[in-house]
Amino acid sequence: MILKGKTIKKGKVEGEAIVSQMPFSFLGDLDVTTGKVVGSGHDLEGESIANKIFVFLTGKGSTAAPDWAYKAKRLGNAPKGMICQEVEPTLAMVAITHDIPMVHKLDQNPLEVIKTGDYIKMDATEGIVEVIKKGES
Amino acid sequence: MNLTDEQKRMYDGEYGPGMQKAISMLVEYGNVWDADRMARVNSAHVALWSEIEWLAEMLEGVEQIRVPLATVHPGNCAASRFGRAMGLREKFCQREAKALSEKLGLLVPKGFVPVLSCTPFLVGNVPTPGSVFSWGGSEGICAANSIFGARGNRDAFPAALASAITGVTPDMLLLKKQNRYGQLLVKLEDLDLERFTLADYGALGNYIGGVAKFKNVVVDGVPNTVSFDQLKHFTAPMPTSGAVAICHVVGVTPEAPTVEEALGHKKPEEAIKVGKKQFRESWESLHTATKDDVEVVFFGCPHLSINELRELARLLEGKKKADSVRLFVCTTEQIYTIAKSMGCTDIIEQAGGLMVRDSCIMLFPYPELVVPVTNAATNSAKAASYQARAGIKIQYGSTESCINAAIIGKWGG
Repeated sequence: MILKGKTIKKGKVEGEAIVSQMPFSFLGDLDVTTGKVVGSGHDLEGESIANKIFVFLTGKGSTAAPDWAYKAKRLGNAPKGMICQEVEPTLAMVAITHDIPMVHKLDQNPLEVIKTGDYIKMDATEGIVEVIKKGES
Repeated sequence: MNLTDEQKRMYDGEYGPGMQKAISMLVEYGNVWDADRMARVNSAHVALWSEIEWLAEMLEGVEQIRVPLATVHPGNCAASRFGRAMGLREKFCQREAKALSEKLGLLVPKGFVPVLSCTPFLVGNVPTPGSVFSWGGSEGICAANSIFGARGNRDAFPAALASAITGVTPDMLLLKKQNRYGQLLVKLEDLDLERFTLADYGALGNYIGGVAKFKNVVVDGVPNTVSFDQLKHFTAPMPTSGAVAICHVVGVTPEAPTVEEALGHKKPEEAIKVGKKQFRESWESLHTATKDDVEVVFFGCPHLSINELRELARLLEGKKKADSVRLFVCTTEQIYTIAKSMGCTDIIEQAGGLMVRDSCIMLFPYPELVVPVTNAATNSAKAASYQARAGIKIQYGSTESCINAAIIGKWGG
């Protein structure tokens, strides 16, 4: 399956998808030392987003998110690439500042068509997301 | 994106690599929302959370920043001269203090003003109506747009730094009048707002932010006698539970003389009623403690105003905190000085409170305490929400409830 979206940060990347239906803040929702999502009530609580293609609703919370994302990245615990439904300014700066390829506004809802464990090949420069369903190759 | 000749010179590197990197980031940022030009920025507000290497890279070759005024956010409590008194590990404090001083050593000569506050509007960085600002600090942004009627986006700290350096930001989103109208209309009902405490306003704002996500909010039903401090606690948690950057309060804030004007004479995308049930639900979600023991009581998220400090002194006069409790009172050096001249800080200190300046209490580094604690009491909805996610059990209550808890050493609600 091929999805087409809009570039937030250019770059090519591929990896395993991890999908959340919720907004996310890199300051507060992420333990930067492990790459795991924290906070009761989050649908990914306890799961790691490190080195995955992180698919989620949008950003929220602190405008220090890029600074925390940087800490995660230095420790090897940031996502490789990001796909969200619709970006907000602070979240866009996470991708732009720390060079994490990212797209949004896809032609299908990524939160419905992408499942955790699917394999994603993303060309964020062209806004193209290839989804290889889990179990297919 | 159309750049002026001067902006093109920045982009081409004529003013050095820092300026070039800053404007390149802003061009990429603007492209996400198809901005076609840059707008001049009057006021910037940046933080010191970034690593020094990155700050140095951004400022390479920059002699003076181009924005007329840029202030600096507070640092980690451990970096301040109060870290040890707060019970934090000596080595951690030394490391953080050194890092902070190096970062300020880099920024101040370039023209940044080290107010070290999350409430820059209380200490000289006052955004005027209609002017453009580029700030980090989600609650400051919400206040600047909503209460002051200035125009700015949820610029993360790196975007604010880039804007401080270049003096510009992409002309997009909330800079444009048509994007500032309300999308979510909140009607308040059955709430005794005349008697609302700061913590009540915080709980209400926490609920609304969670519903709004990143929508522009219009709230109808707040009495026009609402104080600045109440508005501060009301709007501060909206970008914590959500990503709200503007909240019009009908009859109170400058762009909301009426519901219709706040909505731009359109139907809102969504309309909700908020009453006792939602208010209680929000309050319960903020109060996560299950025991009555009180270990830490803190005030000052956002930084305390002079009036909040006066109130704390009134409640603490002639009292003494329980030995088992640590009482932290956080504000800026500037407001501290006024409070001291009035005798307020002496009263707080005699009661056993520690007056912490220039620091962010919301991001208190609990794991670095010599004697660990597991719960804390506060009147701040924003801090309650962040610290709960960091694993601290929170006793949420009014200023008075928190002070009582500090005195008797037990939570009484």
